[in-house]
Order: sequence, then C-alpha cells, then structure tokens
Amino acid sequence: MTTERSNPFAARKTASRSLERVFAWMLRLATYLVLACGVFVLGDIFVKGSRTVFKSEFPFVNTTFLTEAPETLYVFDYQGQTHEMGDKAFRAFRAQEENAARAAGRTAPEFSVKESIVYSSGGIFPAIVGTVLLVVGSMTIALFLGVASAVYLSEYAKDGPVVRLIRLAIVNLAGVPSIVFGLFGFGMFVIFFGWNVSLMAGWFTLAFMVLPVVITASEESLKSVPKGFREGSLALGATKWQTIRKAVLPYALPGILTSSVLGIARVAGETAPIMFTAAYVVRDKLPWEVERLGDFFFQGVMALPYHIYVVSSKIPQNEYTERVQYGTAFIFLLIVAGIATASILLRHHLRRRYQW
Amino acid sequence: MSTSTETETRPAFAITKARTRFFGLSFDECIQTFFGGSALVAVLVLGLIVVFLFREGAQFFSQNRQNLEVYRRAGLEYVDYIRQQESAHTALTRYLADVRLRALTHFTQTEQLPLGDANARLADFDAYADRFADAALSLRGVANDLGDVATSIKTKFSVSQDRLVQRTQLLAAGRKDEADAVPIETINFSQELQPIIMTFPAYRIVRDAFADELNAIVATVPEMPTAGLRERMESFQRLTREYVATFPETERLMQTWDHRKPVSFAESFSAFLFGRQWLTASFWQDWYGILPLLTGSLMVSGVALTIAVPLGVGAAIYINQLARSGEQKLIKPAIEFISAIPSVVLGFFGIAILGTLLREVSQVGWLRWLPGFPIAERLNVLTAGCLLALISIPTIFTLAEDALNNVPRAFKEGSYALGASRVQTMLRIIVPAALSGIVSAVLLGFGRVIGETMVVLLCAGNRIAIPDFTQGLGVFTQPVHTMTGIIAQEMGEVVRGSIHYRALFVVGMVLFFLSLVINYVAQRIVRRRLAVG
Repeated sequence: MTTERSNPFAARKTASRSLERVFAWMLRLATYLVLACGVFVLGDIFVKGSRTVFKSEFPFVNTTFLTEAPETLYVFDYQGQTHEMGDKAFRAFRAQEENAARAAGRTAPEFSVKESIVYSSGGIFPAIVGTVLLVVGSMTIALFLGVASAVYLSEYAKDGPVVRLIRLAIVNLAGVPSIVFGLFGFGMFVIFFGWNVSLMAGWFTLAFMVLPVVITASEESLKSVPKGFREGSLALGATKWQTIRKAVLPYALPGILTSSVLGIARVAGETAPIMFTAAYVVRDKLPWEVERLGDFFFQGVMALPYHIYVVSSKIPQNEYTERVQYGTAFIFLLIVAGIATASILLRHHLRRRYQW
Repeated sequence: MSTSTETETRPAFAITKARTRFFGLSFDECIQTFFGGSALVAVLVLGLIVVFLFREGAQFFSQNRQNLEVYRRAGLEYVDYIRQQESAHTALTRYLADVRLRALTHFTQTEQLPLGDANARLADFDAYADRFADAALSLRGVANDLGDVATSIKTKFSVSQDRLVQRTQLLAAGRKDEADAVPIETINFSQELQPIIMTFPAYRIVRDAFADELNAIVATVPEMPTAGLRERMESFQRLTREYVATFPETERLMQTWDHRKPVSFAESFSAFLFGRQWLTASFWQDWYGILPLLTGSLMVSGVALTIAVPLGVGAAIYINQLARSGEQKLIKPAIEFISAIPSVVLGFFGIAILGTLLREVSQVGWLRWLPGFPIAERLNVLTAGCLLALISIPTIFTLAEDALNNVPRAFKEGSYALGASRVQTMLRIIVPAALSGIVSAVLLGFGRVIGETMVVLLCAGNRIAIPDFTQGLGVFTQPVHTMTGIIAQEMGEVVRGSIHYRALFVVGMVLFFLSLVINYVAQRIVRRRLAVG
C-alpha cells in the first residue's frame, strides 16, 4: 500500500478502471470458453476413441479395426456366458460347437442371440481407403483447375468485366452450401452424365466445392512472389510463359501446396456432397477389386464421414456400438488433424526457407 | 541455304519469333487461353449449378399444380373443410387435456394429494371433457364417410392416368393392338362428386346440432382449484365460442366451392412458398410447403448466432486488442483449428454426448424456471444450435479479427492521446470503425450455419412441423427439421422424376439463392464502408 501511494504516477482505482478489468475478463472468458468447448469435443472423442484403436498389449494398435471391413456384431448367450462376436467368427464358432456336439453324440447346443447390430464389429478399412481415394482424386482436379485459374487471375488478367465476373463467381461459389453441391453433382454427374454413384462423380463434386478455396490460396501465394522476379526474367528476354514457369511458379508452389492442404481437410470432412454422388453405406469389395480398369472410376466407395453418419444415426447408442462409433470418429479426426497440422508445420517451415 | 546464313549472321540472343501456331494462336497465346479458360470454370460451375437445379426442379411447380388440381377435382379439398373443422375441435380437446394435466400437477404437488384422490377430484372435469370430445363424433363420422368417397375418386383417377401413360408407352413402342386393349376410363368428376355434394344438407344438420351442443357445454365450466386454471378455462370458453363463430364462414366456403375452378400457377407457387405442411407419402394428400423447413432452419441458425456472435466477436476483440502476443500466437491457430473439425463428427458428438447432457442439465430442479425446461426430446433446436455455434465461431472470429486488424493505428493512438481509456477506445473507436467488417463476418457465419447439413440432420430432431410458438422461448427446445436436413434425408429414398424428388431440388434452389443473397449483402456492406472510409 505504502509503495503504491508513494508513486505519484500510479493509476488511481476508479470505477471506470474496475469496469475495464471486468470487461477484459469477460472477453477473456469468452475466448477461453470457445477453446474449452473445442477441447472438450476433441478430448471426449480422443479419449473414448483411443480405447477402440489402441490396446495395451502388442502391437498396441487394434489391427482388426484398421484393416477389416465392417461386420454385424452378435451378442449371444452360450452355456451361461455372454459372448460378443463378429459375423464370420460367430458362424465359425457355431459350426465348430455344433460339430463337436454332434461328434460327441449330444444334441446341438443352444445359441440365444440377444442382439445383432450391423456395422458394429470388424473394422473400417474400406472407408479409410475410400476417403483417401476421394481426397486424392478431387484434390488433383481442384489443384489443376485452381492453380491454372489463379495464374490467369494474378499474371494475365487485366481488370475488366470478365475478371470481375470471375471474382464474383469465386466468392459466391465459396458460399454455396455443401448440400447444394451434392444436389448439383447428383443432377449433373450421376443422372445427366450417367456415371451413377461413382468415384468420378464424387471427385468432380468435391473438386468444384473446394475450388474457391484453392483459387484464393493460390492467388495469394502467387501475389506474394516479388514483382522483381518477374521483371528480371522479362528483362532477360524470357517470354511470359517462361517467366511464369521458371520465375514465379516454383517460388509460389510451396505456398500453394500448404494453403491448399486446408482444402484437403475440407474435402475429407464433407459428407453432404458425397451422400448421393459417391458414398455407399456398405460395400464388400475393395476399390481395386475390379474386373476392368474402367470400372475403377465408376464404382462407389465407402467413406469415413458417411460411415460416421451411418453408425451414429442408423444404429442405436449402446455399449456395443460405442466402440465403432468413437473409433471411426477418432480415426477420422486423426486423419483430418494430421493433414491440418502438416499444413501448419509446412507453412512454418517454408516461411523460414523462402525468404527474399 | 538462305536460312542458314540468316542464323549465322543473327546474334545468339536474338528472339526467334515463334512459328508454331494452333488455330491461329501463338504458343504463348494458347497458354493464356488455357489459363483464362480454367479461370472461367468458376463461372461455369456456378452457371451449371443453376442449370441443373432448374433442370431437375423446375417442373415441380407444374407437377404440384396437377397435384393440387386433382386435390380439388376429386373433392378432397371440399372434405378438408369438414376435416379442418374437426381437427380444430381436436385442438380444443387437447387444450382441455393440458388443463387437466396442470390441475393434476397442482393437486399432487401443491396440495400433496395422493394420485387416486387427485383423480377423484377431477371426476367432474373428466365428465366435462368427455362430453366435449364426444360432441364431435357425428361430425367426424361425416368427414370419414366423405373422405372415403373422395379418396376412391382420386384412386380411380390416378389408375386411369397410369393406364394413359401405359398406352402412350405402348404406342411409342409401336404395339398398337396392345395399346388399344388398355382400358381407359374417363372420369366424370361432376358425376363422381355428386354423392359428396348431396350430403351438404345432412352435414348442415349434423353441424348445427354440434354447434348447439358446444354452446351448451361452454355455458358452464367445471370448478377449478386455482385462479390460473380458472383463467385458462375462461379462455377455453372464449376459444370455443370463437371456434363456433367460424362455422358460417366454412359453410360459405363449402357452398361456393367449385371443383371446376382451375388451379392457377400462382396457387401452386404459393402452396410451396407459404405452405405450412410438408407431408409426403400420405394416404390423403401430399403437401410440399417449405415453411416448416424454413422455420426450422431459421430457428437453429438463430440459436447458433445468439451464442456465436458474442463469443466470436468477443474473442476477436480480446485477441486483437487485449491479449499478449504469446497468447495471440497460441489462441488464433487454436480457434482456426476448431473449423477443421468435420461437421459430421460434431453431429455425432451431439447425439452421443451433448443431447443427453443438455437434457440432464434441464432436469436439475433449480433450472426449471428456464423456458422449455425440462427438455422432452434429446435432439432439438438447442442441441443443434449449440453445435452450429461452434462451427460458425471460427468463421466469425477470423473475419471479425481481420476487420479489427484493418482499423488504422492512428485511430487508436488518437483516442489514447485524447485521454480515452482502453475500454472507451475499444467500444467507441475501434469496434465502430470495424463494424461493417464485423457485420459481414456475422452474415457469412449465418451463411455457413444455414447451409450446414450434417449437424442439423443428426441433432435437430427431424420432426417436420412448425413448432408450437405458444410456448414462448420454450419453442427452442422442440425438435424441428431443416431445409438442408430434408434434402439429405429424403433424397436417397425418392423416385427419380417424382414430384417429391423435384420438390427437394426446389428446396435446394431456395438454399442456393439464399446463400447468394447473404453473400451479396455481406459484400455490399463491406464495399459501401470502404467507399465511405
């Protein structure tokens, strides 16, 4: 107290000052509340999901869950004990027990199936594969188109009605709801082009959806390449295309790739556009098990986000289904978070490397 | 020979003119055209979205017109006048049931009577309610009989329509003999409708008896224990009298009703835009009215924005103005990271955790005063709204923070120099200067929320009805269905080309244009502000 009073410049404790502190604390509270909500959601899924995905003995990862297709889970009573088994294991077990009983001359044992729940046993391998295929294909298309149009907008275009129209279209395309892209993809690719529910239809639908993100990101990184690079190259007699190819694109490419990775997270996470264009509820065959190469592009796949939708809405919530629900959500988040983190790290790394 | 001498004499750095030409374009021009073409893809996609939404959806209005025309021709509309009268009575019966529940709660909780005694105390009331409910029996009988006739006309008509289609298909296939063999019955609607119209005098007798009975019933009301309940009974009397007063109007409508009156295109349009029912695969009549879905979407977005705007803008102000730089570097990416959480995962979280959590919280005794608590349904507007808030916060936060960042430093410095405090500077100088950016951030957040599909599909409860607004704020704890949700849910099940299928595309169109409008307004606000500043 005394020290404070001895300082003639110390702020006095007035009502307005304490109001200021209250105000600051309210804002701080809002910020941390948002963060807490995010952490709570992620934490819940990480904790419960890791119970499915990891286990305490070797190899510490639940390989069945990661490498097998979904199966129906059977919960049944047998000889006073409750068993839980996947479809295949259940059949094998029953056949074995019945054979053993017949060989011993006993009557066939009784299996009282208490519950059979679809998709709750086995794994999610086809869904992981499908998601990867969807992301790779659609990002290839989106990057190709997006970088090309960004090059046009930042290198060639002069301000005029056409460019303004293009910019307007990009901004508006970014605001179109994803379900509308789904309807559009369904109307155009699935019905009009007759591609049916297929990888191709999903690729193009997702690519068009993410196009504005890629264009904006690419244009920004093209713009951040200093003007001197272009002028130097042009002064040396290079043509416009040579300048772009040798003096602009290589320096912009890291930026384009890192910012577009955020587009990948969006593509991987969207469910609505692929619901009617690319995703199957369940499919036994893996994508590469096709007879002709052409069939590869025209087959539907399972996808993680759609699988989450199916297991969280079509089957009941209970102790048996919780494993697959949380496990799928966890793996899915892990993939998306991995991509997002990679983009942040890459950006950080490249920013230090490419300084001019 | 001459070319070789030319190259020899020319210096090495001379520019050789490109000779390769494709379609009259030099190589560089080709490349420029290619890039320009790619840039046009965005425009093209936007155009294609419009084209394909229209291609699949545009026919909806003519199909709906036919749908409504059959509704009128077959007399369903006529019968619906009586059915509406009857359902209004049912609503009054429900009102009585609600009063009974309140009275029972009063007896068991406030007066601590055992359940048997409480029910005994309500015996009078029950007799009264039963009498009221039974009054409509004969009216209901009339409605059911006429309904059967009308549906049979409709079925007859649709069978003959199917046969007509079959015949044209056969004719198109060149099988004329078979086509001629398809029996087609032309429906004479006026004749078919005679049995319905003829019953009008009988209906009138029944209706008059009904009105007399109702008036007799509401002349007295049973004794109620509390003033609040007595008030409710009084308003019940008033409502019933108002209900009886509508009878002449209904009668006038029935008398002037004409099945030949054509259904205009505008009627089909307004039936969609202002229709209060979305009813599909019904035995009676399918309705495609967007209002329940639009209300659902708007309510969910309303809840989401009510939560997200203070939190998102607050966090933006905090990060931009108050936070230390270390805090800034940590929190900004963290909040942006939230936007990377896929919406389907949030939807799953809502089903698995949040829905149950909210309901349990709502059952805590001292929170009962809140409107709508305790929550009856686990999945409702509130659950979906909370999750959507989390989705829109990063959008609002990022854009609002940008807007605050763009406020010139001089504004802040000038304000401090004049002796303003930090809070004064923030609230009076910086936030107003960035207001246009903040408003457009909120609008874009709104666009994000109203277009979001998976969260509302999983968590909004999916009940297709306009919620009961008489409950005040409690309406936000009711389940709804949304525009995005209905497309996602029903698209997989509809027959391609059916009216239902087209209706879903029209809902998509509404969503599309809504998003364009939101985008346009948001840009407009930012641009106007820039022009002024």
